[in-house]
Formats: sequence, structure tokens, C-alpha cells
Amino acid sequence: MSGMPLREYIMKHKLTTYFLFSAGLLLLCTVLFAHHGTGVSYDNAKAFVATATVTEFRYANPHPQLYFDVKDDKGNVEHWSGELAPNPAQLIQAGWGKKRSEAALTPGTEVMVTIAPARAGGPVGLIQKIVNSKGEQVLGTIALGPPPAEGKQ
Amino acid sequence: MRNQSMTLIFLLVGALAFSSLALAQGPGGGIMAANPANAKRTFDPHDLSGIWTRNGSPGGYGGGSTCRDCGDRGFGNDVPPFTPLGQKMFDANKPSYGRNLGSAEANAHPEEHIGRRRAVPPANGTDPYQTCNPMGVTRALIYPDPMEMNVLPDKIFQQFEWGYGTRTIWTDGRKLPDDPDQPRWWGYSVGKWDGNTFVIDSNGFDERTWIDHFGYPHSDQMHLQERYRRVAYDVIELSMTITDPKVYTRPWVSQIKKFRLLPKDAIKTIDGWAGVMEDVCAPADEVDQFNKRVRDPAGGVVHK
Repeated sequence: MSGMPLREYIMKHKLTTYFLFSAGLLLLCTVLFAHHGTGVSYDNAKAFVATATVTEFRYANPHPQLYFDVKDDKGNVEHWSGELAPNPAQLIQAGWGKKRSEAALTPGTEVMVTIAPARAGGPVGLIQKIVNSKGEQVLGTIALGPPPAEGKQ
Repeated sequence: MRNQSMTLIFLLVGALAFSSLALAQGPGGGIMAANPANAKRTFDPHDLSGIWTRNGSPGGYGGGSTCRDCGDRGFGNDVPPFTPLGQKMFDANKPSYGRNLGSAEANAHPEEHIGRRRAVPPANGTDPYQTCNPMGVTRALIYPDPMEMNVLPDKIFQQFEWGYGTRTIWTDGRKLPDDPDQPRWWGYSVGKWDGNTFVIDSNGFDERTWIDHFGYPHSDQMHLQERYRRVAYDVIELSMTITDPKVYTRPWVSQIKKFRLLPKDAIKTIDGWAGVMEDVCAPADEVDQFNKRVRDPAGGVVHK
């Protein structure tokens, strides 16, 4: 990086920087949320970003769920299950009602998801962020709310 | 160099904005119970009607954390010693709230009762709430979602947003049943005014509910007294006392809980339909599929 402006460095290493920045924020998130049992099932410190193809979305209590496929560099597909921290009542406050949410996540839609994987392992995690192909965040501004161990959020 | 500085500032501002959001969701975060704009508004201290919330978000509903001065999500830290039966019941309850069991953070806070330091993943827990069963009176009152009080001549209905549960508090002068044949999720309740304090006495509780989300137990012999005081136009204070000699060796007085008043049209659907949300966790098979496909695998319990 020596001699290279940080902005240029970020542009050249956009993905790595994004990962590092996200990891820092998520670590902060973990510290702040740990008091009330958050992250009891999920490991926020190991959150990662993946390109996902939606297979199913359920806008329901106690938590909305996103089911999706993730393809690795070799073309292998892994099916994942994820829950969102905010429940429908919270999503509504952010303007994400049932119809809008379901329209944004119809099966076959490709999105970028930030996932905090389960501490127990396996393809299941807490969905912390969803970004669509236009670079817009889907399901509002409160997706980074308390993780689900807090209960019904 | 200037570019580097600007970018670093940008990143720092982003981090601070994020941490603000996170703090707003954290314990005791968010807004205060009283709105200074209401400070000079007159009120009838005997009028408890309206939509009240302990939620710390500006919207006042939808889970999350309590308002900054409204008390936390536990009944209280001054936990009485358990009876032998109470200890057994407490040990059998495995909550998913509080500090993670066995974690360095849990071990670093011995001043907190162990009930707040024993969280396990829901898949390995026993919280009846994880399968969307009724929360019961104390836990519902502590939960940071709205509760509407509908005051009628002979009773008050408390309507809780989460679960859309309704509780009846009779004010027609009847006495509590001595030993109810059928315990209830929401118990049996009578209320009356003592000066400017509305006092509710309740019994006949189903002992499958928890006192709060930390898994403190109670028996079907629990007597609950709630004392409500409207201390401002937009604030109600609540103190609760549990007397349950089968479980606790002395009465347990709660931390003071505050509720703030929400305007009638504060809670709205996307279509603008105002009123307490029908925040039901149903149908049962929807909840079951969620637990089997997401929540249980996340705790290492995989269903084939």
C-alpha cells in the first residue's frame, strides 16, 4: 500500500476492504449487543458477504426467513437458511410491508447478503444485510437490529 | 494524504453512525419515557386509558429495547433466595437471554444474579416463548412493545401487541377466587384505586409462564400485586410485587418500570391503519417450520 492513496487502495482492493470494515463494525455490534443475549446462536465476528440466489422468503413472525443458494468459485451450490432480526412490525416501521418485501425477494432474485453464521456450524445464519443488484439495501434500515436471541424482534 | 484523511474520516463517521444505531437498540437506549413537549399538559391521574409502551424507539413498537429510563427487560436484580422447589424450577428453565452461559463476559459479572448470565441457544433452551406461547402478565408488561388500556365501567382490558393477548382486570368489586380450579395464562385480576395509585391483585396463574425472559419461575400459587401511578401526562410508573412462598423465600419487588404514552395514531400499517398491531406469532405450523429450518439448526439441532 506504500505510496498509494487510500482511496485508490480501496478501489483496487474493494472487496477486502469491505470485508475488513464490516468485520470491525460487526465486532463493535457484538460488543454492544452481547449484554442481552444477542448472538447466542450466531457468531457476528465471523460474518461474511456472499452472492445469493433467493429460493424462498417468508415474511412472518417470529422472524422473517430467507432461504437461498450460494455458489462457490468452482460452481458448487450450497443451500442456506437465514433469519432476519427485525420482525414484520419493525419492518413496517421502516416502510417494508409484506407486499414490498416479498416483491423484492422473489425466488430467483440475486442479492448480496451479509450473514453471521451459526456458532454450531452448518449453512444457517443471521441475515444482517441484503443488497439488491442495484446496490440498494433491501428490507430497510433496521436490519442490523438486535440479533434474534433477544426474542421476537 | 488528503485523500487518505478524507476516507478515514468517512469510515469513522460511518462507524459512529452505526454505533449510534446499535446503542439505540441496546439496553436502556433510545428515547426517554417523557416527552418535554408534554411537560405542561394537564392530565387526570385516574385515567389510564391509551396506548402505553416501554419501547425505546421513536415509533414505540416492534420489539427491540426499552426506553432509556424505563427499566430493563428483567423483573429485578434483587432476586430472593429460592426454596428447594424454586431452585429446581429455576434450574429447569433454560433461557436464551442475558449473557451467554460460561462466557468470559458472564464470568466477569458475578455481581449479577446467575439468571442473567446463563443464556443458551434457543435450540437448547426451554423458553415457552420460543414456540410463541403466551408470555403471562409480568413478562408481557416488561416486554418492550405497546400495551393498550381500554377502560370500561366495570373492567379494564389490557391488550398486548405481541401475541395480541388480552387480559381482563375487573373493577366491579368482586373478590379474587381463593383457589381457582383452572389456572390461566393471564391469571385472575381485580383492580381498585388507592388514592392516585391503581392497585391490581392477581392470582391463579399457569405456572408454565416465566416471570421474565431470564427464566425466573413461579408457581400456580403466585400472588401478584401491581401498582400503577400516572406521574405525568405521558408517563405511567409500575411497581410489581410477587409473593410465591412455594418458589421464593420472601416477596420479590420489581424494578420500577415506566411506560410512555403513544398518540392514538402512532402505530400504523403500511396502509395507514392506526392502532395496536396484530402482532401474532401464528399459525403454529409456521412457527414450527421456522424452528426446524432455522432456529434449531443454528443451535446444532438438525431435523432430518
